[in-house]
Amino acid sequence: MKHSQGFPETALKRMLESGRFTVTGEVGPPHGADHSLVLDRTNLVKDYCDAINITDNVRGIPTMSSMVCARFVIQAGAEPVMQMSARDRNRILFESELYGAYALGVRNVLFITGDHTILGSHPQAKMVYDLDSIQALQLASHLMTGQDLAGDELEGVPAFYLGATLNPNADPMELQVWRVEKKRDAGAQFFQTQAIYDTSRLEQFMEQIEPFGVKVLAGLIPLKGPKMATFMNERIPGIKIPKSFIERLEQAGDGLKGDEKREAVRSEGLKIAAETIKKVRGIRGISGIHIMAIGWEESIPELVRAAGLYPRPK
Amino acid sequence: MCTLLVNATMIAMELKSPEEILKMLEGYRKIVLFGDSGCAQMCDVGGILQLEDMEDFLRQNGKEVLGRIFVEGGICDTNNIRQELIKNQEMLERADAFLIQACGVATQTLTELMPEKESFPAANSKFLGSMPERFVHEERCIMCGDCILDLTGGICPIARCAKGILNGPCGGSMDGKCERDPDTDCVWQLIYDRLKALGKLDNLRSIWKVKDWSLARGPREIIKQET
Ligand code: SF4
Ligand code: SF4
Repeated sequence: MKHSQGFPETALKRMLESGRFTVTGEVGPPHGADHSLVLDRTNLVKDYCDAINITDNVRGIPTMSSMVCARFVIQAGAEPVMQMSARDRNRILFESELYGAYALGVRNVLFITGDHTILGSHPQAKMVYDLDSIQALQLASHLMTGQDLAGDELEGVPAFYLGATLNPNADPMELQVWRVEKKRDAGAQFFQTQAIYDTSRLEQFMEQIEPFGVKVLAGLIPLKGPKMATFMNERIPGIKIPKSFIERLEQAGDGLKGDEKREAVRSEGLKIAAETIKKVRGIRGISGIHIMAIGWEESIPELVRAAGLYPRPK
Repeated sequence: MCTLLVNATMIAMELKSPEEILKMLEGYRKIVLFGDSGCAQMCDVGGILQLEDMEDFLRQNGKEVLGRIFVEGGICDTNNIRQELIKNQEMLERADAFLIQACGVATQTLTELMPEKESFPAANSKFLGSMPERFVHEERCIMCGDCILDLTGGICPIARCAKGILNGPCGGSMDGKCERDPDTDCVWQLIYDRLKALGKLDNLRSIWKVKDWSLARGPREIIKQET
């Protein structure tokens, strides 16, 4: 695909291309209008991440716009990865927001299909899906050639480092592998995976996508406790947490009560995540990790330190 | 021929709740019921039995039911229904309102033919579906205006993927099931299996282009030129 400006040099791109093990983390936008929360959460994790993802109305639960939050991440002195879901915008809004995001200084954009609204708090909402995530990537690549979808010349051409997701847990594997290839062909340069617990599927998957030459960050969600793990197995699409992990969380802090018990369970959760990091680092083709803390941003510094990935290279 | 067509595919619908029906008929006393032997009967909303049940129900609730008009075929066939209206003209003139135990097309057809009175929908039209067995209806088509079943091995992702995506499956497809609920098949898994069996998996290797959704939006019409 032809790009008039090529991909912009982002810190994320530099890290990934340098071959050093990369760390990205996720900041959840506030469920309301208080932007200071974005600044606070970013400040908490920015020294531990090479770039910070801003999620986009996960599970259809409305939170502050990812474009606006990405701007506040920049203000806090970090580099955002703005997520855009195909669930809530049609091609017109995709184009419009990509122009706006570029103007605000956002350079890393990651496209996702978006969870079904039935999984969130607004199940009655009308979902859009004018495009799917692959077509949205194509659209972004197209805008970078200086034209919109109608073929009209742009007043200012955006340039993005484009990302996408992959889920080695999803079926059928062969088709999921082809989807990675399609996403690459549509312009995706880097991939973040859905949360990984059992690493064997990821290993198998990585072997199959090796020929595509894309950068992959393995996704992690540290578990706060057995209830969260069970909830995730039931309610978060595309996640499989092995029973053995849930049992470890159940048994953690046996005999303890209250805060002490909670601390013990959480540290077991972090231990599982640290073990997973160790395992994924050994998988060929994995370029880094992506920590999705889901409201537990404090876990990111702890995990990055525990994994020996701190300090981050400047 | 029409009945054959109707048997092969149908508009699936369900009766609205009794409360909802009474609410919409508030202020109207003399009612005429409409049903037909097509989709309405097959979905058990406007067959003879349901027209009788509705008559009893409305009577118990203080309405006067002047009569039932049961059409052989579909109310959507305007010429057909016109004959029925002429036959029943006297009764229709006495009515305050009509209750249509059929699809949204039927209600609108009657609205157009008898604009001086209101036709009320007794049913919610839900989807175009098949009837694998009695009392079971499954959605199969949303009439997107640009059929791609040739590419998918005859299985529609637009109607049957919970997100209607074209380059599926999404990351929520696990063990053949859809992320929306564990009882629904992921249609992209079905398409994959089918194309594999047909030796046509290559259909899924390239990116499917952005769809022209303008073809899926109304108002639409078809006027066939005689040749
Ligand atoms: S592709 Fe369109 S026309 Fe064909 S079955 Fe699906 S919804 Fe109906
Ligand atoms: S799991 Fe399959 S059917 Fe369900 S939304 Fe995803 S692609 Fe569509």
